Amino acid sequence: MEPRRVEPFVWEVPVGTVDGMRVPGIVFASDDLIARAVDDRAVIQVANVATLPGIVRASYAMPDIHWGYGFPIGGVAATDVDGDGVISPGGVGFDIACGVRLLRSDLTWQADVRPVLRELVRALGSRIPRGVGSKGRMRLSGSDVVRVLREGVRFPLSHGVGVEDDAELCEDAGVLEEARPEEVSDKALARGGGQLGSLGAGNHFCEVQVVDEVLEPAAANVLGMFAGQVCVMIHSGSRGLGHQVCTDHLKVIDGLMRRLDIEVPDRQLACVPLAHEAAVSYLGAMSAAANFARANRHVLADGVREAFETVFGRSARDLGLNLVYDVSHNLAKLEEHEVAGRRRRLCVHRKGATRAFGPGHPELPLRYRAIGQPVLVPGSMGTASYVLVGSPSAEQRAFASTCHGAGRAMSRTKAKRVMSGQDLRRTLEGQGIELAPAHVGLLSEEAPYAYKDVSEVVRACEGAGLTRVVARLRPVGVVKG
Amino acid sequence: MTSDGGFELLEHTADVGIHAWAAAPPEAFEQAARGLAEIMGVRVPGPGRRCPLTVRADDRAGLLVAFLNELIWLHETQSKGFAAIDVIAVSPCDLVAEIELAPLPETPEGVGVKAATYHQLRVEPRPGGGIDVWVFLDV
Repeated sequence: MEPRRVEPFVWEVPVGTVDGMRVPGIVFASDDLIARAVDDRAVIQVANVATLPGIVRASYAMPDIHWGYGFPIGGVAATDVDGDGVISPGGVGFDIACGVRLLRSDLTWQADVRPVLRELVRALGSRIPRGVGSKGRMRLSGSDVVRVLREGVRFPLSHGVGVEDDAELCEDAGVLEEARPEEVSDKALARGGGQLGSLGAGNHFCEVQVVDEVLEPAAANVLGMFAGQVCVMIHSGSRGLGHQVCTDHLKVIDGLMRRLDIEVPDRQLACVPLAHEAAVSYLGAMSAAANFARANRHVLADGVREAFETVFGRSARDLGLNLVYDVSHNLAKLEEHEVAGRRRRLCVHRKGATRAFGPGHPELPLRYRAIGQPVLVPGSMGTASYVLVGSPSAEQRAFASTCHGAGRAMSRTKAKRVMSGQDLRRTLEGQGIELAPAHVGLLSEEAPYAYKDVSEVVRACEGAGLTRVVARLRPVGVVKG
Repeated sequence: MTSDGGFELLEHTADVGIHAWAAAPPEAFEQAARGLAEIMGVRVPGPGRRCPLTVRADDRAGLLVAFLNELIWLHETQSKGFAAIDVIAVSPCDLVAEIELAPLPETPEGVGVKAATYHQLRVEPRPGGGIDVWVFLDV
């Protein structure tokens, strides 16, 4: 199946590609990226998503598209809240509100950080709990966990962790008001309640980065970023709590499919009408898990500030260690968008895709409203990360969405066959990148060569009118989950 | 691949799958569980604490997902590995098993598994007799 190019960087997967498609698929990609998506069979998953009841306009995929489970990674689907639209937990994924947080500093690479890099990475490593099942920095009682689920970043802030700007500069001000902690099971609380302020494993990381190039100076200035500046990027999610929320609700919704007479081409696309009580329950639990994820990155950032304070002997405030922004890239949100000239309430699923409102959107923090929503795109250890902003055309393109990373190109097994963890460590250290991995043996599963070229991905996003590129950052220190 | 029971790991761009087979569903599910434990790096020597496990689902394939998810939950909440996984019975909607939980090594080297998924999930009779199962994990 070959998608048809309809514009530069825009490819259509026509209705009929798989049975039951209600809308076409649209993939945003360069020639090389679309060829990879076809090889990967991810394009078929775009077509499968187009069969969801109540899907509006198209089943979209971002340039970092790759084969997922049910939804493609990089998939975006909006369903009609006031019609027959559904919600699908698979369209959010197990790591609910997994996302990225970026802190900037007043420190520069050459003058301030380069001489103390090893010490800094060690200090970060000792303050960032990581690895499978790791316990968090912030110990919570049962009632505290429930407060985190309801209050998001407001809970740690109320306990003196972080500063007020941390909430303002987080998507949704760090809390989804529609959270319903009572819909989060005891099993989910037992699995993840103790993990607040922990990185996790897999592709999650905390990186010391340097702003390598500023591509849009005016926007960079608004974000407080400049060339040579040292920043810290955190990539993590809702930990075991979010994983279990998805597991629990997916099982319920899967069980309802036959009774509701809904058929989907892949069982992981299990879905339920938005008006159904199971949808209301899932949305409440998912929002609670999203609040946990935002609070998790907030508490991790506290560990980052503490490490910098220890190494530089100055306060985080004095070091200018402030939040640039915090985004989620696995979420379903109720949003208003214009469809065929009419404002509609939609449930926008973004599975490995980031919201990217254009300039002037009322949900953006006032200080960023003129430039559009900041989007944080993580690379993988040796590769660049990017800061983008939403384009004016973003809403019309794909309900204001863009990429979430480079996107995997190689399985973990293959990646390990190419190079051992030890060899990769030596290679990266030879490039001047200091590493603190949870497990050296697993390092090469996340090697830079296992991912697509992140620079090509962000160029395709810009070419398709989804986002504009503000700055490129390169890693100098990696604390790996 | 032998006909009397085993498993193989399947490559997937982002995740990993398990294909397991055996003469009957309890053994095939047990093999799939061994595959999961191998991916997570939590197959450990005994002796350990034996505990019963029962799982319900709407169909046999859903039962496999629910069973593996229960093992993931047990591992994460107990911080233990599996010295033995014995599936005693599998009916269309119920599974009964006995698990032996034992301490993990100080730094277990395995992949964190978020969940077993319904993606490309299959439980099918094996040509010539026996059962094949396929399940993909989110890692």
